[in-house]
Amino acid sequence: MRGYITKRLLIAVVTLFGMSIVIFVLMRLAPGNITDIIFESAGYVDQEDKKRLEVELGIDRPLPVQYGAWMRELLSGDLGKSYHYELPAADIIKPRLPVTLELAFLALAFSILLGVPFGVISAIRQDKPLDYVLRVVSLAGLSMPSFWLGMIVILLLVRSFGWIPSVQYVSPFDDLRANLAQFFFPALAVGYRSSALIMRITRSAMLEVLREDYIRTAWAKGQREGPVVWRHALKNASLPVITLIGIEFAFLIGGLIVTETVFNLPGVARYLIDAIQWRDYPIVQNLVMLIAVIVVLANLTVDLLYAWLDPRIKYGRP
Amino acid sequence: MTRRHLVGPLVLTSFLVLVLIGISAHAQPAKAPKYGGVLVGSPLSAPPSLSPHEEATISTVQQASACFNNLVYFDPAKRQESAETLVPELAEKWSWQDNHRNLVFFLRKDVKWHDGKPFTSKDVKYTFDMVRGAKDAKGKLRVNPRKLWYANIEAIEAPDPHTVVFRLNRPQPSLLLMLAAGYSPVMPEHVPVTEFKNKCVGTGPFKFKEHRPGESVEFVKNPDYFVKGRPYLDGIKWVIIKDRSTQIAALQSGQLDVTGIGWNAANVETAKKGNARLVVMEADSGVNDNLLINFKRAPFTDARVRRALNLALDRKAYVVGPRQGAATFGGAMLPRPSGVWGLSDAEVKKLPGMGDAAKQKVEAKKVLAEAGFGPGKPLKVTVSTRALAIYVDTASWVVDQLRQVGIDATLEQIETGVWHPKMTRRDFDVALNLTGIGIDEPDANFLENFRCGSPRNYSDYCSEDIDRLIAEQSQILDRAKRLKLVHEIDRRLQADGARPILGWGKQYALLWPHVKNWVQHTNSIYNQSRMQEVWLDK
Repeated sequence: MRGYITKRLLIAVVTLFGMSIVIFVLMRLAPGNITDIIFESAGYVDQEDKKRLEVELGIDRPLPVQYGAWMRELLSGDLGKSYHYELPAADIIKPRLPVTLELAFLALAFSILLGVPFGVISAIRQDKPLDYVLRVVSLAGLSMPSFWLGMIVILLLVRSFGWIPSVQYVSPFDDLRANLAQFFFPALAVGYRSSALIMRITRSAMLEVLREDYIRTAWAKGQREGPVVWRHALKNASLPVITLIGIEFAFLIGGLIVTETVFNLPGVARYLIDAIQWRDYPIVQNLVMLIAVIVVLANLTVDLLYAWLDPRIKYGRP
Repeated sequence: MTRRHLVGPLVLTSFLVLVLIGISAHAQPAKAPKYGGVLVGSPLSAPPSLSPHEEATISTVQQASACFNNLVYFDPAKRQESAETLVPELAEKWSWQDNHRNLVFFLRKDVKWHDGKPFTSKDVKYTFDMVRGAKDAKGKLRVNPRKLWYANIEAIEAPDPHTVVFRLNRPQPSLLLMLAAGYSPVMPEHVPVTEFKNKCVGTGPFKFKEHRPGESVEFVKNPDYFVKGRPYLDGIKWVIIKDRSTQIAALQSGQLDVTGIGWNAANVETAKKGNARLVVMEADSGVNDNLLINFKRAPFTDARVRRALNLALDRKAYVVGPRQGAATFGGAMLPRPSGVWGLSDAEVKKLPGMGDAAKQKVEAKKVLAEAGFGPGKPLKVTVSTRALAIYVDTASWVVDQLRQVGIDATLEQIETGVWHPKMTRRDFDVALNLTGIGIDEPDANFLENFRCGSPRNYSDYCSEDIDRLIAEQSQILDRAKRLKLVHEIDRRLQADGARPILGWGKQYALLWPHVKNWVQHTNSIYNQSRMQEVWLDK
């Protein structure tokens, strides 16, 4: 087990190193840099002042030198300074991260709470009216982009009740109820799409397991439906579901940009777009690296959960 | 007098009494302003900084103006900005001396910066030495978009703590108006200008409270404000909402009191449909759509080609097409009645592109043929523009118009970050551009956009004669005489196709009826955000 984890961690480190190069290079491939944008907003370009700014920010140096400087800072825990706001990058990222994480966790909670039970019910009521209804609901979830759903939700709320969730962020530590009211609809909009995916995978995995011999034996022994379905079948059907949940969580962290924009939540995803537009390299590089770390950790967690769910899986053995 | 004779006057008197009762019942007595409340607004976008001198966006001016004061300012209560609507702020009074070569300001003695330090003439000298890029300036701006405004200042002197003298190379009455612009606040000498990226220390009616980059900017009432009894509000909070439909919904649901100027007519219509009580504010934004034609690149060096391009663009179609009715025709200066210096209606009607569309297109084809272009050898033109919807919509329309006269036009969308570098390199044939003018003043406009060698004269249009006239009009003290010369310059700029103006777009703001004393200026959106007179009737 320890060997397996070590190996996975090493792979994670190599992956993150590769990611860092991709992020660094891609940002430099985008046309223009922060000085172009600054003069862009001023409506003219003074070449002398522009050059001076580039030197000041260190973006006149060769790319390998810039990359080395970034890595040195990153490994020493220093995220650098935002070019745009001239504030420590950590000070900008820190207050935004909990917003995105809260939205991602709540959305994931919605998707699991809706997707897993509906998937199970759909499987055990296969080809019955309820199954068809749930499959239509699932297909609708897959067909509707979450940001579009978010916009529709906002329009419906304002039209019907003259109310929308607060457009000013409310911290859960200040007012938990208001915070949950603010996050309920965006989490539901995002979670609905994920729940549709989870439901479909749960349904197909359950259908497969329900045809296994040990389940038929359990039915033959006269066991009640509840324990057979929820204890025996679901546990064994959950491997692909857990994998999907892990992937969905990773996707959510980086994929909330539009939802955060529509519901005006000041998370990292929305801010990432600002930072890209300003070519604010320290912010973009460190934020994307952060998302990469979360994705890698989510995958690692999923892999480790396999052993708990299915004891037949032994790590470190052929 | 018989009873019959009494009936007529009696009926008339009764009628008049009833009318008077009706009028008095419907008349709204002017309400006394109320103190208190925090105004929550949503601007067009997040401010890149709170340093107006370093920015060229309404976002910064609108959100930071409440923190600052100018020497003089445009009267917030008057809708049209002009020399007649200037009011004193940090300057108690001012005086032109030495045949308008010296402008002397006598400053208020009761003003303190928000950090408690006294405001003096040194702060004024520091600010405007920095902005004009004086060699001995104590501060340096990272970016200095309006340096040209102050190019005529020879020196600034502060003979005592409450007197400032602006010494000019030549008379320039417009200097006072440029000093009144939202872009021209006085900054404190003791606070480095770099700190204004994220905070603000001013003398204005509101003190800085918090700036959450990309999220919100908040101000609280300055209890020591030098204008007694102002401001009415306890604070102002600008909430950044990027999605326009969310912004509309937030306004309709009552979470916002006002949305920043910058909406188009379609946004306003949508919001009004949701709540008819919302009040619409319309303004001629001082922003025009124009065509940049590269004067240094063949075949656009040929005046006939430039004239053909100008004639091909039917301005009436522009207003109903890309601008959806929310624009006005005009020349280089904002058209009347909103603008002060615009050409008369009769003159506007004579401008290229304003006549009968079919006839003008025929003429454009004829001129092109004279220049050697026709069906066998079409003129190829790339129309460049920024990859933003407000630009692309109009540029697509331009491409269509040019094709109608046989020009082989294609659209090139430029990523916004490299737009001005590309324009500065003159790396374009023809470009669709938007130009915002900070104040409705010929000097601010002509010096920036039409003078030979100006950094923003992207077309490289250069006429010594026009430069001479620009300098001449700048010095004229008699308003009527100056207006005449400004019109002459405008007509010639349009005839030369220096930067063909398609039209001037209108912008809108929406607010709830409980927001009082919010007066939308008609000829600029940049110079009205002090907010000291605004109050909430809640």
